[in-house]
Amino acid sequence: MSIDPFLVWLESTALSEWVVGSPSLLAFPGILALHAIGMGLAAGLAAVLDLRILGVARGVPLVEFRRFQPVLWGGFWLNAVSGVLLLVGYPTKALTNPVFYLKLLLIAVAMVLFVRIDRIVRSGAAATPAAARSLRRLAITSLVCWSGAITAGRLLAYTYHRLRA
Amino acid sequence: MLHAGQIWLVAAIEQHSPVATLMRTHWAWPIAESLHFLGLCLLVGAIGTFDLRLLGVARRVPIAAMHRLIPWGLLGFAINVSTGLLFLLTEPDQYIYNPSFHFKVVALGIAGVNAGLFYATSYRQVFGASPSLDAPRRAKVIALVSLTAWMTVIVCGRMLTFYRPGDCVGEPGVLLTCTPK
Repeated sequence: MSIDPFLVWLESTALSEWVVGSPSLLAFPGILALHAIGMGLAAGLAAVLDLRILGVARGVPLVEFRRFQPVLWGGFWLNAVSGVLLLVGYPTKALTNPVFYLKLLLIAVAMVLFVRIDRIVRSGAAATPAAARSLRRLAITSLVCWSGAITAGRLLAYTYHRLRA
Repeated sequence: MLHAGQIWLVAAIEQHSPVATLMRTHWAWPIAESLHFLGLCLLVGAIGTFDLRLLGVARRVPIAAMHRLIPWGLLGFAINVSTGLLFLLTEPDQYIYNPSFHFKVVALGIAGVNAGLFYATSYRQVFGASPSLDAPRRAKVIALVSLTAWMTVIVCGRMLTFYRPGDCVGEPGVLLTCTPK
């Protein structure tokens, strides 16, 4: 079954037409700008947490680092919302491109890793050798996932096959 | 005079650019863009968390300990200056005549001077004394300016593509924001 009728309908909605067609800087350009800021906050905070686990800034207790988590979540939700708006604007462009699904998968894995890291940190067992080893493994995987997600996201502009239904 | 400077700069880069051929190969530009985004995240992650600490988040963490993140922010900055130069040296007119680029450069300048002010006025106070003190008001203002300036840099960078210069018509402003004939 083709998803084309759905894409045609989505592209005809008022919201989609506003995102793509509005001359307002708050429409497509503004949403893209918010998406870039959200990326910096979410991926940036995650990267710094991963680096901390890998030995950078050892003087910062991991438990205290949890204070910065709202920034990561804020960036994540900002990008979930701005991302959905961009998707509503150009659904065909994203949904017919495998790279888009790769990007979503990488972000999902990265967020699961972040939650697992946080669970270990919260348990207070982060200092035990076994936990420290798993933390390092999770941090390295997280850095790989975020780098991949960001690269995949940027490449969406170059790898799509169809712009509109 | 500023206009002549812009025109001269674009011409000079176009004539001597050492990277344009490389950057016009198939994947060079997208790869450099991806690196530019990765550098952005590193910069925001490291400098942003340090600024937030100055503003009072995670107050029990010694500021000196947080400062260990700064080299990673500088690494992000270095990545972005390098990749940014690759773009500029390949398509100079797309940046030199772009109003969004002008604002981005101003915001970068503010961020730079602001960081300089931090090290000139607050560095010692913030790192001396007790390990986890509350930053003085001046350092907090600097942190707020830093966060604002970097967010502006990101927004202007993302907006570049919507302010691509067209051909000049009519009387130009202080800086050229269009491609002269």
